[in-house]
Amino acid sequence: MRLYDLIQQNKKLKFVDPDSGKTANVAEFHESIAIDDFHGLSLIYSNNKIESIEVFLNFLHSQFTISLLSVQLNLQFKENLEEIYEPYYIYDPSRKEIDGYEMDSVSETIGLFRKKAKPVYTIHKDVKLLLSTSGTTGTPKFVKLSDENLVKNAMSIMEFMPIKNDDVVPLNVPIIFVYGLSIFTTNCIKGGTIICTDKDILQKAFWEDFKTYKFSTINGVPYVYEMLHRIGFFRKTYESLRYITQGGGGLSRALIDAIVEYSEKQEIPFYAQYGQTEAAGRMAYLHPDDLSEKAPCIGKPIKGGEFEIDKKTRELIYYGENVFGGYARELEDLKVYDRTNKLYTGDIARKDENGYYYIIGRMKRFMKLFGTRINLDEIELILKNNLGGETFICVGIEDKYLSIMHLDERFTDNDIKKVLRHKLNIHASAVKIRYIENVPLTPNGKINYREIKELAKLSEMKV
Amino acid sequence: MNTKEQLQQVFAKAFEIPAETITDQLEYQGIAEWDSMSHLVLVEEIETAYKVSIEMEDVLEMGSVIKVRDMLKKYGIEII
Repeated sequence: MRLYDLIQQNKKLKFVDPDSGKTANVAEFHESIAIDDFHGLSLIYSNNKIESIEVFLNFLHSQFTISLLSVQLNLQFKENLEEIYEPYYIYDPSRKEIDGYEMDSVSETIGLFRKKAKPVYTIHKDVKLLLSTSGTTGTPKFVKLSDENLVKNAMSIMEFMPIKNDDVVPLNVPIIFVYGLSIFTTNCIKGGTIICTDKDILQKAFWEDFKTYKFSTINGVPYVYEMLHRIGFFRKTYESLRYITQGGGGLSRALIDAIVEYSEKQEIPFYAQYGQTEAAGRMAYLHPDDLSEKAPCIGKPIKGGEFEIDKKTRELIYYGENVFGGYARELEDLKVYDRTNKLYTGDIARKDENGYYYIIGRMKRFMKLFGTRINLDEIELILKNNLGGETFICVGIEDKYLSIMHLDERFTDNDIKKVLRHKLNIHASAVKIRYIENVPLTPNGKINYREIKELAKLSEMKV
Repeated sequence: MNTKEQLQQVFAKAFEIPAETITDQLEYQGIAEWDSMSHLVLVEEIETAYKVSIEMEDVLEMGSVIKVRDMLKKYGIEII
């Protein structure tokens, strides 16, 4: 059965817009938007509110392939993507007009942009959803997912997540991120009420909605849990809260301790999950009972999934039907969907004698900052392109901050921070910049990132 | 004495934008620079600048520049 049909089967499912109080049963969104009947590409710039959800569900039902992106994406990035992928439909509540598109007012609150000239291209029948791995950096690189990927992943999560049909779940992890999307799909299939919100946990309105609608759960990436800790959430009791979940990278020891204490005292189970966009969501989870003893640990594979550790490289390999069908960098790539069940995660792992898996490093030059995956090579390139072609070297320090080195004395820290802020939405508090005279190289002439990392850590200690 | 200008500077530092762009009407999530990440930076900057420790309820109250001033009043800090 298709994801959409599984969602429609959940007859009592309803969506709530907490700002207006508007409530809609899932049936009300069935074919509520007229969509041309062919297989084209649609771009949805979601603001995570009820209209975005309605548009998404309608396109999920249609023949169209959907690309889910953030409405906050920089306009230049949006235009670049639209030029590369020539979407037939665009939903973007932040724009009034788009060159080459006509605006159809499909309902009182929803306007859909439709391309004047019907584009000629073919998309593989299995390519249903395109997700960006970073969400905000605007590289035209997408992960190609099939409807089956999404369904298999949702089914596996529902095996262990204690979702009930009268649950009230806020979408406080945006659906444009695979983790947010998996919360959305599983609760649409099995849950009760979905609160479509663009509020985050630092807004008073979120906590007012929490009380009004009696949220059953909160979900977040590590940095959300850091904020929850900071604002004193773990000292409070919320009657309606049943369980909490986390995805998007590892937690610090101090945070784990705080969560263990909270979880035991208040009897609120905590589900730490390990996933990737390439796996359409989740690959493993740590059972709440194992939290205090095992964390930080990614636990065991989800149902239907299996792990293997490469003997030579120690890279973690995942097998499952939720593994994606390749990347897309241009329109041409949408013609193929490479069906496979094997995923190289890029993480280095170990397994203990009881079958629990632990992440101990990464193969590639990625880091996670505020729960978002950042490609360090890409950052180097963006800085180079925006700052006169000079050389920049970026390393990530323990997923805490980004260390950037440059070879030109004339650059001020501010020059660099500005580019990071505007092009990549990276906050300066997570960036440390250093000028160096020459680049440490490996014996074969490549940049010696290991040495640079040591240097960066060392200079940090002196400060 | 604690002035509006000083508070503006605290905001400007937290958000990395010029002090003159910090108006009374400025709201959380109203500009790209005032997001959840910089909000916590702001909390820290205010705590350092005014030597206070801000409670959860008050962090959530800090929804605009005016509200931050009102919040500081509770901690005995009058911004004039």
